[in-house]
Amino acid sequence: MSEGVKKPLPKITPVSMPFYKAAKEHRLLIQQCKDCQKIISYPKFICPYCMSSNLEWIESCGKGKVYSYTVVMGGVPPWFEEDLPFILAIIDLEEGARLLSWIVGCDPKDVGCDMNVEVAFKDLTDEIALPVFQLAK
Amino acid sequence: MKNNLAIIGIGEHPTGWFPEKSFMEMYVEVIKQTILDAGIDKNDIEAVVFLAPLSQPLYSAHLTFSRTIEELGLRKCKANFQVFGGGSSAGMALKAARGLIDSGAAEVVLVPQAQHYSEVTAEERLRFFSQDSGQYEEWEIPYGITYNSVIALIAQRYMYETGTPPEGLAAVATSLRKWAQLNPNARFRKPMTIEDILNSKMVSTPLHSLECNVLSDGATAFIVTSAKKAKKISKKPVYILGEGHGGVTHFSIVQKFDRDITRFGFDRAAQAAFKEAGITLKDVDVAEIYGSYPAIDLIHFEELGFAKRGEGYKYFLEGRTWPGGDIPISTNGEIQQGHSGLGVGMAVLVEGVRQIRGEAGERQVKDCKIALVTEVGGQIMDSHVILLGKELR
Repeated sequence: MSEGVKKPLPKITPVSMPFYKAAKEHRLLIQQCKDCQKIISYPKFICPYCMSSNLEWIESCGKGKVYSYTVVMGGVPPWFEEDLPFILAIIDLEEGARLLSWIVGCDPKDVGCDMNVEVAFKDLTDEIALPVFQLAK
Repeated sequence: MKNNLAIIGIGEHPTGWFPEKSFMEMYVEVIKQTILDAGIDKNDIEAVVFLAPLSQPLYSAHLTFSRTIEELGLRKCKANFQVFGGGSSAGMALKAARGLIDSGAAEVVLVPQAQHYSEVTAEERLRFFSQDSGQYEEWEIPYGITYNSVIALIAQRYMYETGTPPEGLAAVATSLRKWAQLNPNARFRKPMTIEDILNSKMVSTPLHSLECNVLSDGATAFIVTSAKKAKKISKKPVYILGEGHGGVTHFSIVQKFDRDITRFGFDRAAQAAFKEAGITLKDVDVAEIYGSYPAIDLIHFEELGFAKRGEGYKYFLEGRTWPGGDIPISTNGEIQQGHSGLGVGMAVLVEGVRQIRGEAGERQVKDCKIALVTEVGGQIMDSHVILLGKELR
């Protein structure tokens, strides 16, 4: 890793703060519009369906499916080289939200599209944990 | 009033690695070449709509503050501004030029572009394509997303849904390489086989290193005017017969509204363009596709209607898209010419003009009357089709 360059932590903004506060407690939150009831992902300031500002956070069951994935083997910024190879994936949660995440704890050969996964958490610092996923047992 | 438009001049600096040259040298050379090609007086140019150089904010500022005007002494210019619509900037610049021409603000518009990656450090180039080109700092950058991995995610799902094999994606790259071998302006001109690709390093499954872009230096330009003006001042106008747009759909590939990351809207874009031009796909003699990666090119090819979904790769394997084939695709070699930033979308448009004029050398498609050009930007965020022709219909 390049000296003095740290891995980028998720940017904490008014809209991402509740998500990462819950992630630190290993809970996965998703955003829902209280007016039109639609699930909003990624979280936003205004509902992109009905323009309501009346949004709330609900807890996800943490279960979902792999929509697509890629085993990343190179071509990453230097601060991610220590993680190679890693499995980057698009996860569809049961509630309807979609996230970019990692699939961890398995052989890359065992991963496929539409497989069931469950949330886990990777503690990056004392303050920040990233949601990641494991193949469902 | 909507004018018919004509491209009356084109220019292209070879794509490659030219650390001995400077950005401004390549930029002014290509403009000079384009003005000479058009056979007009430089003072006929009334507006400059230049494309953004990527990772070179200093030059972007210089061009914004009218350096082009001063370098070339464009004394009659009334407007000078930058267009930056990601990879589809060439198509966006054409739309901006149309606005200037239709409103009467300018009759003749110069659209130049240059990229001098050889003076951008490797670290900065990587940073651009992993952090500074539209990735969420809250949700994506912490997972190490890059443009290669975005494309890999699309390709993986596309292969899963259609059964397209790895050889099918590799065949797109080898087809493009065959065209690049005939293009003196292309950077990659050595033969390349499907085996070479499948044996190259895996970057991000299913994407091999020989299927990835290589950032390169390059410069391109065109001059556009109304068809009416072109008839007076140009000996070889190439007309814009139709344009179509499939929509601007998302910022992040993860968050595409319609959720299907393997469909881009080129079917809608092509239909709209065909309707405006009063032609069908059967009338198209050559397609200059800018998809930037094999899987993306293949999806363009299928959505345009050349093949059924999932069967496009066979055309690339069997040679139908190669030089001499019945459906010539991206005759400049597209990404095998080298990735000169926003220049790739310019290069396919310039190549379309060359084909219509009959000036494509060894790559010339016989009796080429209609060329179809595609433009796409960002994380495959939009879809544009431009139809070029020899005669106004």
